[in-house]
Parts: sequence; structure tokens; C-alpha cells
Amino acid sequence: MTTVSPEGLLEQALEQVQQATNEASLDEVRVAYLGKKGALTGLLKQLGQLPPETRREAGQAVNRCKQALETAIEARHETLHRQAIEARLRAEQVDITMPGRTLPSGGPHPVHRALDRILAIFGQLGFNVATGPEVEDDHYNFGALNFPEHHPARAMHDTFYLPDGRVLRTHTSPVQIRVMESSEPPVRIVAPGRVFRSDSDQTHTPQFHQVEGLLVDRDVSFADLKGLLSEFVNAFFEESLEVRLRPSYFPFTEPSAEVDVRWRNEDGSPGRWLEVLGCGIVHPNVLANCGIDPEEYTGYAFGLGVERFAMLRYRVNDLRLFFENDLNFLGQFR
Amino acid sequence: MKISYRWLKEWVTLDIDAEQVAERFTLAGLEVDDVSPVAPPLNGVVVGEILTAEPHPDADRLRVCTVAGDEQVRTIVCGAPNARVGLKAPLATLGTVLPGGLKIKPAKLRGVRSEGMLCSEPELGLGEESGGLLELPADAPTGQALSDYLGLDDQVLDIDLTPNRADCLSVRGLARELAALTGASLTQRPVEPVEPAIDDRPTIRLEAPADCPRYIGRIVRGVNVAAATPGWMVEALRRSGIRSLGPIVDVTNFVLLELGQPMHAFDLATLTGDIVVRRARKGEPLQLLDGRDIALDDDMLVIADEQKPLALGGVMGGLPSAVSDETRDILLESAWFDPRVIAGRARRLGLATESAHRFERGVDPALQREAIERATALIIEIAGGQPGPVEEALSASDLPVQATVRLRLDRLNRLLGAELDGATVERILLGLGMSVERDGDDFLVQAPSARRDIAIEVDLIEEVARVYGYDRLPTRRPGGGLSIEVASERRLPELTLRTQLIARGFQEILTWSFVGEDTLKQLGLLDGAQPLANPLSRDMAVLRTSLLPGLLDTAGSNLRRQHPDFRLFETGVCFHQGKDGFTESRRLGLLMTGLGEGEHFSARPRALDFFDLKGEVEQLISLNACEGEFSFERSDLPWLHPGQGATLLCDGNPVGWLGQLHPLLLDQLDWPQTAYVAELDLAMLTRRRLPQAAPSSRFPQVRRDISFVIDETVPASEILALVHASGGELLHRAAIFDEYRGQGVAADCRSLSISLILRHISRTLSDTEIEEAVQAVLASLRSRYDIKMRG
Repeated sequence: MTTVSPEGLLEQALEQVQQATNEASLDEVRVAYLGKKGALTGLLKQLGQLPPETRREAGQAVNRCKQALETAIEARHETLHRQAIEARLRAEQVDITMPGRTLPSGGPHPVHRALDRILAIFGQLGFNVATGPEVEDDHYNFGALNFPEHHPARAMHDTFYLPDGRVLRTHTSPVQIRVMESSEPPVRIVAPGRVFRSDSDQTHTPQFHQVEGLLVDRDVSFADLKGLLSEFVNAFFEESLEVRLRPSYFPFTEPSAEVDVRWRNEDGSPGRWLEVLGCGIVHPNVLANCGIDPEEYTGYAFGLGVERFAMLRYRVNDLRLFFENDLNFLGQFR
Repeated sequence: MKISYRWLKEWVTLDIDAEQVAERFTLAGLEVDDVSPVAPPLNGVVVGEILTAEPHPDADRLRVCTVAGDEQVRTIVCGAPNARVGLKAPLATLGTVLPGGLKIKPAKLRGVRSEGMLCSEPELGLGEESGGLLELPADAPTGQALSDYLGLDDQVLDIDLTPNRADCLSVRGLARELAALTGASLTQRPVEPVEPAIDDRPTIRLEAPADCPRYIGRIVRGVNVAAATPGWMVEALRRSGIRSLGPIVDVTNFVLLELGQPMHAFDLATLTGDIVVRRARKGEPLQLLDGRDIALDDDMLVIADEQKPLALGGVMGGLPSAVSDETRDILLESAWFDPRVIAGRARRLGLATESAHRFERGVDPALQREAIERATALIIEIAGGQPGPVEEALSASDLPVQATVRLRLDRLNRLLGAELDGATVERILLGLGMSVERDGDDFLVQAPSARRDIAIEVDLIEEVARVYGYDRLPTRRPGGGLSIEVASERRLPELTLRTQLIARGFQEILTWSFVGEDTLKQLGLLDGAQPLANPLSRDMAVLRTSLLPGLLDTAGSNLRRQHPDFRLFETGVCFHQGKDGFTESRRLGLLMTGLGEGEHFSARPRALDFFDLKGEVEQLISLNACEGEFSFERSDLPWLHPGQGATLLCDGNPVGWLGQLHPLLLDQLDWPQTAYVAELDLAMLTRRRLPQAAPSSRFPQVRRDISFVIDETVPASEILALVHASGGELLHRAAIFDEYRGQGVAADCRSLSISLILRHISRTLSDTEIEEAVQAVLASLRSRYDIKMRG
């Protein structure tokens, strides 16, 4: 009987292991030597035929070879697996600088973007949002706000009329009246919305957006109004800007004021005063018109033009751009 | 109101310059829009005198003049038609640079040497119009610097007065205000009465005493209407933006500016009988000074004689009774009209006059006599004439009474959040010319008659705050009681909705609330459109009934700007005038055009289709868990493609529509591509369910797919509804995941594949149960439709 030595088989097997180029052919080697019918396994099976005194040593030799082969296969497997992964990685590589799949880019309108910010700031100060209709009657838009009929103060508002005498609201101040008529003090609201004036030129559009604010409570003073508005302006612009109140006239507030902000030039130096808000202490007639006792309660009101704030914030130099809706323009406010 | 700084200085002792005056006014509520020099620098321009003027030998239109005024007499070639011997006119001497940049150098004009230039108003930057050389009065000192002679070293303040400050519509009023603000002293310029030289006096009847409680008239005979208005007056008027129109009108305008009393002069010869101040009769005709014929209304006040209206009281005079070149004798008017009979009348007639502007804001009711004396004196000084006595018609009880107002110091300080002491308050009130009486801590205050705006306590509080200075008043940081008034979680904030749309590629737009009637008509959206009474233009004449016109307009202009792919949305109010009255509703409008996804190298571009739009709508509803049961119905809205248009229903009620634009509409719009549009009710979209957790199954779910061929006309929604109804409690979800037409499927039919997700809340399903549930679904489909099963 020709005996095959385990070492010989091992040598042969190791060579095949090294030649195996993929996991499948490696497995073939494993089956051929270590499988149930494998060559090394066969040697083990033949041990019984050996004389008992050599059996032990021969068994150890076979097992040593088996272990050596298993280790080699393991190592080779490891290598081949790594190579396979590497090949896959190479194959799956993409140019990650190519663009991703996207939708067209949406964005907010700059006026609404500014409005959202304004409302968020007043929201933090505890002002709730109130709204009202865009078509108003004379009472809410003028009368209850202490604009006497035919009074020249009405000429400050270029009003759009409906044939029946109703108006497109010229300010969001009517919301003040609606809220005060339907609720008890304390009142703390902001009223955003569209307003209309029959005026159209470089610095006027026939519609624009306003936020009206109203606070009515006991012992509300002009000092509170000054404090609120200067904090608001600084919060909105994220800058500590100089704010001044300048006497003015609105029929529904007294004392009344325009609020100017000292703008900064590009180089940081103090620039022009820009008018950004109108405000005042709610006129006692307005409180009384809403059934609120002006001796018991006082309040302040303010109104701001959202377009104005958007123009300053985003450095838009032409009001009319806001309503042209050119995507090239709008796309800048994402 | 435009006023010259120099004129102001005649009335108040000032040690601050025009810019500082402007600053002080502005910070006291009299906003100064502009401070501008009355003339550009005119160094080198002097008063010239034409000594000789001969025709140019080689040019018809030129004259060769010798002119005095420069260091020596100069020869100057001049083309002005009014260049004549003896004329005094501005002379720009050699070396002068005129405001337009022209430098005066010796030049030869058609062979004649010219050493200087005689100037017109536009050439000096003094005016727009030119009738040739600026003619200076004959007594202008030859050789004097023009800016000295005309007082051109001056500035004009343009003050934007609020309607409550009628008292500041004059030089004297502004001077009073300035004195109160700065502590400067007012110059006293008392008006001396002019003694009558003749006895003629008008007879005046006040037939509407409430409208006009005081009417003062005075006759002046023998005035010379050809007299020249003195230069100082012309300049004063010019600086306030008023043109010189002859001595009589100039004087009335001057007194208006100086004292604030609008006045009028009638040609006495055109009047018949008494002066009657009365309401107009409806339709009564009057030819106004501007030449227009108007029909009067019965709420207007007229100054009439026995036969006819002469003037629209307080607004504008009439042409036939106006002072003309032939006038010899005049009747001067100085009256007080109640603002209520003036307000709005001028506007209604399309007029804006200095007179109406003042009367509707409120003129000082104590000013009329002083004004007529001042005007008489000026007229006599300039145009001569003999004045008659002043005739006053008065209804004293109808004159406004200046109220005595109680001012509580404590109230003032609480309202201002300040701690002003009584002395400070009193000093401010006195400075404003108020009479003040102490009553404990209170003040009893009466404002001067010119202050028509002081009637209640808060008027005085504002005055004190204003003069004290808003900037000096305390500031308190926001504080106050906390209050929680949180918006309901059942309402989706619009901001959230807008943010979702933006994240899905939609650009927000804001379009006009008014549209053209034609646009709405073209779209079939005219029904219920509310017109404006005074639109700005035809294409902004009615209130929008839908967001669609704005979306289309925006899409159209951006397509023309070569944007091929975009998605737009707008949230806003639409208006509808219907049988049930007028309604406003907030809506969301969507428009998508171009590709389904952004163009990408990995796949062929896919054009948008109906289901992209529908998916967006469904996504909004499901993402926000909108309240209600939603379904889609085929729609026949005229602007939508009839095969690709749908109405969205919420609990059976229409709450929106969506679809492809109708191809015919696309033709009219002349667009290169189609678009998908939708409009949804925002109230519906923002009403959301509050989640209420239900037990969820921990047992495995099973999916079974069924496929069948069914008649094309059966809507998928109907099939799915039936599947849901017949699936029993085990059927958790059913969805269509494939649609097929073509080989193996009969024409007019389609094959649909539906996935059924089955599960039970408390146990694993057995095969039998699953099979029974699937069979139940198939059985009900078979019983309702003629379906053929597919593998």
C-alpha cells in the first residue's frame, strides 16, 4: 500500500489554497482536503489500520496538518474576502461631485419672511395674533378710530372704496377695535395683514402689509411703549440701533409718535434716521368707543409697515420688486 | 408748508441756523422734509443795467448792449427778447460759474466781442420758466451782488404739518411754535388799523351763521392793479411756492402766509347788492377762478350777491367776480368758516387750495380783523386806493369757544410714565401761550384761539410731552404680567404649512388683491367679483375671487424670463359677493410647471403630471392630519383640462380644486408649456386632528396582493372603498400599487393590482383567516363588477 504522508498532502493543499482566487475555489480546496470525503479526513479514517504503536503519532501528524491547513484557509479566506470587498468598493465608486437629485428650490416671500420674524418677536413678548377682514366699513376703518367724517386726517389715507361705501382697509388698526369690542382688558395683540391705499409710484404700492400692535391694561404708559419698541427694533435687526420717538399725529392715539431708527452706513458709522413705525397712547375716545373706561385702563398701539422692515433687513432698494414676483429676485430669500 | 428761514427770523429772535430750526421742529412733531437753499451760489452775478442796445450787424435775433454793473461798462451780446435800454437785469461777470456749470469767459459772437452774460431765471437756477431776462425793479442798485439784493442767502424749510397743527400754517404760527420750543422771544409786530378814507361799506347778510359766524368786508376804491408787487414780497411768495399774480392777489396770499388767514378780493364793479353768505342750492352754477364751471351742492357754502354765487366760500373764488386788469374798486373778504362746511368739499371737486387747506383744519377765529387791516395797509402801500371802514357781520354765539381743560398732574405722569413737576408743566404750557390757573395739583388751561386742537386733557398731556421732548421722557423695558393664551393645537399655524410647501420646492409669491375684470372673465371666475368704486386702473378694478389670476400672471412672466421649472404658492384672501352676502376666505393656491423632479443625469427627465400635483395635495392633508374625510371628484371647472381636473371634497363639501390647465386657456396665455394648478380652502387645511393614541398590534401583519381586469370607467376610489368595506376588521390597509393596460387586457379595460395588509390586534392570523378575508374582498368585487382575475 502506498501511503500518502499528511505533510505531503498539506504541502499540496497549501499550494492550492494560495492559488484559489475566490471564495468559491477556496471552499473547493477545503472540501477536497477537510471535507467528509476529503484527503486529510481520509487519512484520519485510515488510522485504525495502523499498528497501535504508530497510530498515536500518525494521528497527531494528521491533526497538525489539518490545523495548519485550516489556518491557511482561514487566512486566505480573509484575504480573498478583503479583495472581494475592495473590488466591489472600486466598482461602486461614484463621482461624489456630481449633483444630487433635488426638487426645484422653494423659498418664502421676503415680506412674509420679515413678517414671520416680527410675529415671532412679539410672540415671545406675549402678544397674540389677531386678524380681521380686508374689506371694512367706515366705522371700523375710520369712525371708531376717532377719524371724524370729512376730517383732513382721512386725506392722509388714499382709500379704495367699494360702490356701497365700504373700504379696503387702509391699515390693520380696525383689528384693534374688533378685539377691544369683543374682549375685556388686558389686551395684548398684534394684527398682521394686507392693507390698501390708492397710491402707486416708486415708493408706494397700492397694497402692502402692516402689523398693528395693541396693549391695553392698567397703568400702561408712554415709557412702556418706548421701551417695547426700542427692544423690538434691536431684536429685529439684531443690532443695537439708536431709536428715537418723534411727535406726530394719528387720530386714534395721543400722544402720538413716529419711531426713527438711526441706520448704520456700510462702514459702521452712524447714518440717516429712518422712519420705521408709528405709535402712541390709545386715544381715550377709541377706548370709550369700545366700551373701555379710559380712566381705568390705558394702552398703547403701534403700526409698522412690513415691506419697510423687509427692505431694510434684506437691503432691497425698490418696493415694487416685492409684487413683481420675479423668481430671480425671490430666490434670494431662502 | 414751505417757509423761508429769513422770513421766520423776522418774527422770532433766533440764534440757531436753518438746519437747527429744522431739527427742533422735527423733534417737536413738525416734520421738516427738506431744507434747501433758495438759490444756488451766485458769486459774480450782480445787478446790471442796460445802457445801450443796438441790433447785431450780422444776426437778426441778437443785440449788442453796453451794460453797467461790472468794474467797467461791458459790451455784451444778448439774445433775450426783452433786452432793452434802461432794463435792470442780472449780470454774470467774467469768471462767474453759473449753476448749470457754464463759465463766463470773453467770447466773440458773430464777430462781436462779448464780456459777460445777462441772465434769465432758469440760467440762475431761480425758476423754471423764462420770458427772457429776469427783470429787476428799476430801483435795484446797479452793481450790487444779486444774492444780496434779492436776499438769496436764505433757506427754505419744507414742513410736513400734521392735520392737527393748523396754527402752524403761517409764518407767525411757526414763529410762536419755535419760541415755545426754544425759549426764543417773539418779535412783536402789531398791526395798526388803517383809518377809513371813504364811507363806502358793504352790506353783509349771514344766512348760514353756523357755517360762517364771522364775515368781515372792506371796500377799497381806486386801486392800481397794474402796480408792481415789490421784490421782497415776490421773493417771499416765491420761497413759499406761490407765484406773483398782481398786487391785490399777492397781498392776500402774503397775509395768508404771514398770519394764516385766507382772504379774498372781489372786483366791486361785478357785484350786485348785498353780500350774502349762504348755503348753495343744489345744481347752482359757478365758474371758478381756474376757469372750470361747476354745479354746486347744497352742503357747500357760497359767498353770493343778490343775484348769484360769487365764490365757493373758503375754497376758491369765482372767475367773473375776480380782480382783473380792469378792476378799480375791490371788496376785501376776511372770514371764519367752520371746518365742517369746508372739509372734503375741495377734494370732491378735485381742488387743493391753500384756503381750503387752512379752513378745513381750522383757522384762528380771532384773526379776521387783524388780517384785513394788515392787507388793507399793504394794498394801499403797493397799489394805492381809498379804504372804507371795516364792516363785520357776526354771529357771536356760533363762534367756537375755547374750552377750559383740566389737566391732572398725576394723570399726566402716569400716562407718560414720568415724574414731571408742576413747575415744569406750567412753564411749558405758558410757553405755548396757554392761560394757566392752578387748582391744587391740577391745572385749568385755556389754549390760545389759534390752537383748534386742544379740547381734552390728553391734548395737553401730548403738548407737555412734545415740548419737554420725547427723548427726555423715561423708557421702561417690556415687562408686565405673564399670560398664557396659546393657540389651539387643533389649528395648524399657516407658517408650518408654508414651511412644508417651501421644503417641497414651492416658491412663495404675493400677488395683487385686485385684478382686471377681463382676466376673471377669460378664466370663468367673474361670478361674484366685487368691483372697486375708484380703481387705480382697468386691470386692478375688481377684488380677486381666486388666487388663480395671480398665479398665472406670475407663472407667465417667469416663463417669459426663461424659467422652465418651478412651483409657486400663495396664501391670501379671496373675495366673493354672492346671494348670501359678501365673504372673504383665505386660500392656498398652488402652481407647478416643468419637470416632475429636478433634471438629473441618472434618469431621463420626466414631465410633471396630474399625480404630482395631486400628491402634493394629498401630502398636505395627510402630513397635517386635516380634520374630515377627503375625496376627489372629477370636475368640469372651465379653466381645467376636462380629463384632468378634480374637486376636493371634505366630508362631502367642496373645499378646493386641482388639475391641469385647460389647453384652450394655454393657447390664450400663449405659454410654451402646461401647468398644474390648485386652490384649497385654508380653513380646511389648517383644521387638524388632535392625535388620540389607539392600541397598536404587536402581531405580524400579512400582505396579500390581488390583481384583476376591470372596466376602465370604474373609478379607483370606488373600488378601494368597496375593498375597505368588504375586508372586515382584519383588513388594515389597502392600496393600488399597479395599473396596466395593453397586451392581455381587453380594450376599455385596465388591470389593477391591490395590496391588502391584514392583521389582528391580539393574535397571529391563521392561513384560513387570511384566505377567508381575501376571498371576501374578491367576492364583493365580483358581485359588483365584471372582473377577471389575473395571475
